[in-house]
Amino acid sequence: MGRYIVKRVVIAIPMLLIISFLTFLFINLAPLDPAEVVLKAQGVPTITDELMAQTKEELGMDRLFIVQYFNWLIASLQLDFGSSYVTGKPVWSLLGPAFLNTFKLTIVSSFFIIILSILLGVICALQEGRVMDKSIRGVSFFLTAIPSYWLASMMIWFVSVKLDLLPTNGMTSYQSYILPVTVIVISYAGIYFRNVRTSMISNLNEDYVLYGRACGLPEKTITIHILRNSLQVAMSIFGMAVPIILGSTVVIENVFAWPGLGSLTVRAILSRDFPIIQAYVLILAVAFIAFNTLSDIITAAMNPKIRNDL
Amino acid sequence: MMFVSFIVLIGRVLIACAGGEESDADIEASTQAQEEIVYATAQDINDMNPHLYTGSMPAQGMIYESLVENTEEGIKPLLAESWEISDDGTVYTFHLREDVTFHDGEPFNAEAVKKNIEAVQANAETHAWIKLSTQIEDCRVVDEYTVELTLSEAYYPTLVELSMTRPYVFISPNDFIDGETKEGVSGFHGTGPYMLTDHKVDEYATFTAHDAYWGGEPAIETITSKVLPAGETTFLALQKGEVNFVFTDDRGVDTLDVEAIDQLVASGAYQLIRSDAMNTKMIVANSSQDESPVSERAVREAIWHAIDRETIAEEILDGSETVADTLFSSNIMYADVDLDVRSFDLEKATDILDEAGWLLEDGSNVRMKDGNTLTMTLYYDSHSSSQKTQAEFIQATLIEAGVQLEIVGEESTSIANRRSTGEYELLFNQTWGLAYDPQSTIAAFTSEASYLHTTSGIAEADTLYQKIEEVMVTTDEDMRQNLYGDILTIVHDEAVFIPISNGSLTVVAPAELEGVSFKQTQFELPFEHMSFK
Repeated sequence: MGRYIVKRVVIAIPMLLIISFLTFLFINLAPLDPAEVVLKAQGVPTITDELMAQTKEELGMDRLFIVQYFNWLIASLQLDFGSSYVTGKPVWSLLGPAFLNTFKLTIVSSFFIIILSILLGVICALQEGRVMDKSIRGVSFFLTAIPSYWLASMMIWFVSVKLDLLPTNGMTSYQSYILPVTVIVISYAGIYFRNVRTSMISNLNEDYVLYGRACGLPEKTITIHILRNSLQVAMSIFGMAVPIILGSTVVIENVFAWPGLGSLTVRAILSRDFPIIQAYVLILAVAFIAFNTLSDIITAAMNPKIRNDL
Repeated sequence: MMFVSFIVLIGRVLIACAGGEESDADIEASTQAQEEIVYATAQDINDMNPHLYTGSMPAQGMIYESLVENTEEGIKPLLAESWEISDDGTVYTFHLREDVTFHDGEPFNAEAVKKNIEAVQANAETHAWIKLSTQIEDCRVVDEYTVELTLSEAYYPTLVELSMTRPYVFISPNDFIDGETKEGVSGFHGTGPYMLTDHKVDEYATFTAHDAYWGGEPAIETITSKVLPAGETTFLALQKGEVNFVFTDDRGVDTLDVEAIDQLVASGAYQLIRSDAMNTKMIVANSSQDESPVSERAVREAIWHAIDRETIAEEILDGSETVADTLFSSNIMYADVDLDVRSFDLEKATDILDEAGWLLEDGSNVRMKDGNTLTMTLYYDSHSSSQKTQAEFIQATLIEAGVQLEIVGEESTSIANRRSTGEYELLFNQTWGLAYDPQSTIAAFTSEASYLHTTSGIAEADTLYQKIEEVMVTTDEDMRQNLYGDILTIVHDEAVFIPISNGSLTVVAPAELEGVSFKQTQFELPFEHMSFK
């Protein structure tokens, strides 16, 4: 098992390198002089050639592309993503708090998504083919199909403005979590509960269930066994849910003015604040690869066949 | 980004459908007495260093002040009570107010003025856009409240440029780092009516009335700037009353669309206030493109007559802008000049073209002359949805007059690049705006980076440049008025700047807020004059 973990981690490193290089490359391919972008972002009204040259020198943009990339990479590994073009503040000082806010939202949402998925999945599996199963699946299908920004706007309009119950935006108290978390849960729980349901149903038809019943084990004990086996399968899928939600909060954060990575990045894209965009892509890539590796390791821990395949 | 705007737009439409007619009760801009203004803005206030350009201008305008103020009646005293200008126009002596303190208690005096002006000059390259920064030679303390500014040559817009939101405004010398400001400052203490008391990056900033303000403490104690994405989120926050004020931001972007504003005003909780014209949106024609039809004055005039400005202002811009018939609206200093209005008249356009020898052959819908077709390209900013619509609309009208227009959307930086290299026939642009106009836009006529290619192909180019040079240095008011009149007449007659619409500032404020007015700049609002009934 130890060897498998090491292998998986070793494979992740070149992937991260490729992603970081591509990010850097794409941004440098933009048909704009980066020095001009910096000065525009800083709001300088008229850009002279002397000013451009001065800025290039200050930011080390007059060096070779590959030198610039390695400098950026080495600094990034020390969590130094440079300074924001717009504010001149270190990127980590902006990304840090924003990442924390997004992470809070993601963790709270993920927790509820997992609880709700298990609950609905179990109910549907036990009621397979009956009215309850069909109606839960129908409603969830409908809800996951609704665009989340629209759902968010409707909920703000109804709950905050009409009923005057919750704040429309921002992150001020625990109340601020209710609406955005609800929207994220509605969007994702409907997807993940199906996984639980499917693996529950396949477990229900396993021999050990039949054997248990034949031995006269109480139904409760059997259900707990089925659940434990089903959740092992669902576990790896939940592992991947965290980075997916992390990346998809962009829209939700914008509607709710949540001071997280999503809104920060949208503003950075608007003002072409490249260092922030680069750092965001890198963080998201790391999150995806890390969780992907983690869920593979968990799956392998549960299933020896997989670890011997690598 | 288009995606997000699109999402917001769709969201609005869907809500409008779902919500149907909203009753006034829905919009609760709190009926209880309001004490504070909370305004929504899409951008954080950023670094409030007044000697750089990253900060939010409306916020800087509350905190910092300049020596003089630009008003509709001309330049008025602010931190300087009075001033004299030497006969040759190169020495300005300012007598400062003696009752002014910075927000940190530091007295405002000639020494502080000198330190601030020198700090700005130490970063000359960044301030090159403002011509005054290249003219200041020396700043001398005469006595505690008298300061002398020496220029290398007479420059009439000196006072106007000193009155701008930045860079010539004053921050407490205690906030300087190593005697300078260009690498940053340690605090944001100005002399203005409001102090910055709290700032949480990308969330909000709080401004509190400065009780020792020399102009008397402002009526409204607190002003909060809240970072909210434009569109739906801001609209809902206004409905709930969490935010009660929005205005056109310092990049000329409105947070709300016309429909949302109408809905808020109809509820009775909000009022809409629009300023006079602040700038002019126009099409710039490259007179120096010799091999293109656009170098012919008749063609440019025909295009001018073939643009239906009424429809553009009313339909495409939803009435948010007004029709422009001249490069500058008449409320701009020195721009109240008698010029012929070239109204929308397709018949006139075709007559002008016929007369100039551009004729329609049988079976063709595009005019020809000497084997050349009357085809031109118009560039627009691909990020502006309204420019694209306008370009398509103008294209459709022009073909009726036998003029074929190709339209191409590009990044704004690439448009700016075309403007400076002269690789264009027609492109969308706008004037610098109130306080900067007319002098900054007109100075740009001679600048390679701006409008040199636009103006250099006209018959009277040399005369024009001569007059521009004179107008910047003359110290005689009547002569200046006459020179500006001549300059504006030349470019108007030559039809190189084809005006389309005038933009203005929009404010949506609580219905019971009084004293909402505008300054002679599109970048600040005088919050200190506002009060609740």
